[in-house]
Amino acid sequence: MQILNKSKIENALNQLSQKSELFVPMARGDESGFYPWNSYQVGSDRLMLDALNVLLPPKSVVFPQTERMYSFTGNGTTVEIKETFESSQPRIIFGLRACDAAAIACFDDVFLTMGFVDSFYQARRDNTTIVAHACYQPGTNCFCEAMGVDPSNPVNADVIIRDAGDAYIWESKTDKGEKLSATLGSLLENKEMAAPQLQPFKQQANYEGVAEKLKDMFEAPIWEELASTCQTCGICTYVCPSCYCFDIQVKSWGDEGYRFRCYDSCMYSEYTQMAGGHNPRSHEQERFRNRFLHKLHFFSERYGKPLCTGCGRCIVACPVGINIVQIINDIKEADTSVRA
Amino acid sequence: MSEHKCNCENPLVPGIVEVIDIKDETPDVKSFFVRSIGGGLPFDVMPGQLGMVSLLPVGEGMYSVSWQEEQEYLHFAIKRVGLMTNELHRIEVGQQLGVRGPYGNGFPVEECKGKDMLFIAGGIGLAPLRSFIKYCFKHRQDYGNIQIIYGSRSYADLCFKDELFEKWPQEKDTEVYITIDNPEEGWNGHVGFVPAYLEEINPAAEGKIAVVCGPPVMIKFVLQSLEKMGYTDEQVISTLEMRMKCGIGKCGRCNVGSQYICLDGPVFTLAQLKRLPPEW
Ligand SMILES: Cc1cc2nc3c(=O)[nH]c(=O)nc-3n(C[C@H](O)[C@H](O)[C@H](O)COP(=O)(O)OP(=O)(O)OC[C@H]3O[C@@H](n4cnc5c(N)ncnc54)[C@H](O)[C@@H]3O)c2cc1C
Ligand code: SF4
Ligand code: SF4
Ligand code: FES
Repeated sequence: MQILNKSKIENALNQLSQKSELFVPMARGDESGFYPWNSYQVGSDRLMLDALNVLLPPKSVVFPQTERMYSFTGNGTTVEIKETFESSQPRIIFGLRACDAAAIACFDDVFLTMGFVDSFYQARRDNTTIVAHACYQPGTNCFCEAMGVDPSNPVNADVIIRDAGDAYIWESKTDKGEKLSATLGSLLENKEMAAPQLQPFKQQANYEGVAEKLKDMFEAPIWEELASTCQTCGICTYVCPSCYCFDIQVKSWGDEGYRFRCYDSCMYSEYTQMAGGHNPRSHEQERFRNRFLHKLHFFSERYGKPLCTGCGRCIVACPVGINIVQIINDIKEADTSVRA
Repeated sequence: MSEHKCNCENPLVPGIVEVIDIKDETPDVKSFFVRSIGGGLPFDVMPGQLGMVSLLPVGEGMYSVSWQEEQEYLHFAIKRVGLMTNELHRIEVGQQLGVRGPYGNGFPVEECKGKDMLFIAGGIGLAPLRSFIKYCFKHRQDYGNIQIIYGSRSYADLCFKDELFEKWPQEKDTEVYITIDNPEEGWNGHVGFVPAYLEEINPAAEGKIAVVCGPPVMIKFVLQSLEKMGYTDEQVISTLEMRMKCGIGKCGRCNVGSQYICLDGPVFTLAQLKRLPPEW
């Protein structure tokens, strides 16, 4: 097998960032997330390959927070589309975990299947290589396994790395992965090493049967209780690796401008606000219910899996302590013979 | 899932069209006739499908294609309700717009063949139905009797008046019933709300498909009336409206349950609607 000695990790990252924009988990000030390796500042940034989940997921690599779509000129009555910005820049996400890799698989379902292919996403996705980092020690808020994610065998990975003490076991899974490994040359060595054993999970989400059960729970009284403290601040959607709702906006000056898309949140009332005042989800509770039904039921009805990969970020980020594991378990246990 | 065709390689980037005619329908509804620069259609639509119309740099909005005149133009009837529609109502013939589409499933024109058709609309709700109504006239032999019940606040607010009063009543086996909410001088026709007028006319359910579009309250009461009159859930078709951005089932906002109205809708049978969470 191939291994990458940990003493050579910075060398390897330098090498990988020669031809691609390389995103690695780092702590930066009060934040942590996947930042370009070539923006790494010795002293103020800290490489976080050992951390399970940095605060912000790597979703912005394939689906940026704001993404220019096309530019135009409009001169009175005539308009022209100037340029369409489909990004073909090669990118590497290095060291993301199984939950985040699985979340990108959810994006693939959304953006690349069901009738239309989203060209902006496809261009980024095709040019992104994923080096996933297998997990063996689930963290305090991790529950990926309950959501159908195997932490030590990430899906959607071009390369899987496994922490074997002094070195990472390096396993190319796809052609893209082989190509990337080849660029590392002699930095990768041949040596037999053993991967660690998966340790037990600390969080137990009992998701089994929940998607099915939710079919009949749209009007269940439990939502009122579950949603009662939610501030609809939307932080949970922002930190979530699998939330993908977007808005389309325009920026213009003089007679030019561009359209861009940017993250949106189903937690905001403007999200569904229609001209004339009608809003099908004007109440906090209705938006809360839609978010969790989307994650735990609607998405699986449409794509055959939940839209939550058990990363635990929203549990950490929520200012009022709303906990999706608790919600799953409460739904599992709810007595549905009582109706609202 | 059906195959979708788009006018461009990137489904989120509009093609450019020119406005070749504008017509005032009511004090707040205008018809816009658009075609590709130099002629032809930006894309082909079926009745009930949608186009995302873009007035750069102001905004984008989703509209039913009210009619497609082959090789010539797409017709949108647009009500002035907000920012972009206000600006749209100020443009003049020759203005270029962006348009992308076609979106949505459209009306089940094939499944309705051989049936009598009952169209029930309120206000701007006639815009989407009109594409189906005109399709029936164009393929007259494929459909049975046609009844159209249409209402609006006042006479001035009735859309497509020349068709309502002149053309459609002349069509074979066609009856057009028009009502306005309140009495007004010079109006000798029916006065009252659409659901009440529907019950008065009481069209027999047998062999018929009812297609309903209008403001949410109207739809709600019309559906109740139809049920009372013996229409089954499979015989009733309606269209849903949710706020939209992408139009292609990606951006997330137009969902009702696991369905995206822009892609799986906007047309549903009442039977399908009843299987959705009651959020429409
Ligand atoms: C399936 C469908 C078919 C429609 N067909 C027609 C039609 O044939 N004729 C017509 O006049 N109107 C139609 N509408 C409604 C029309 O899209 C909105 O009323 C209009 O875009 C709002 O205009 P605005 O930008 O001026 O309003 P603003 O209040 O400025 O809108 C702000 C934003 O909200 C969006 N928005 C507001 N209301 C709606 C709404 N009801 N539906 C979707 N997005 C909305 C706008 O697109 C815009 O992005 C349809 C809507 C849908 C969903
Ligand atoms: S982070 Fe917590 S409070 Fe904020 S919207 Fe999400 S669940 Fe509600
Ligand atoms: S819903 Fe919460 S736990 Fe699930 S993937 Fe999103 S942030 Fe992670
Ligand atoms: S408008 Fe984006 S999903 Fe329907």
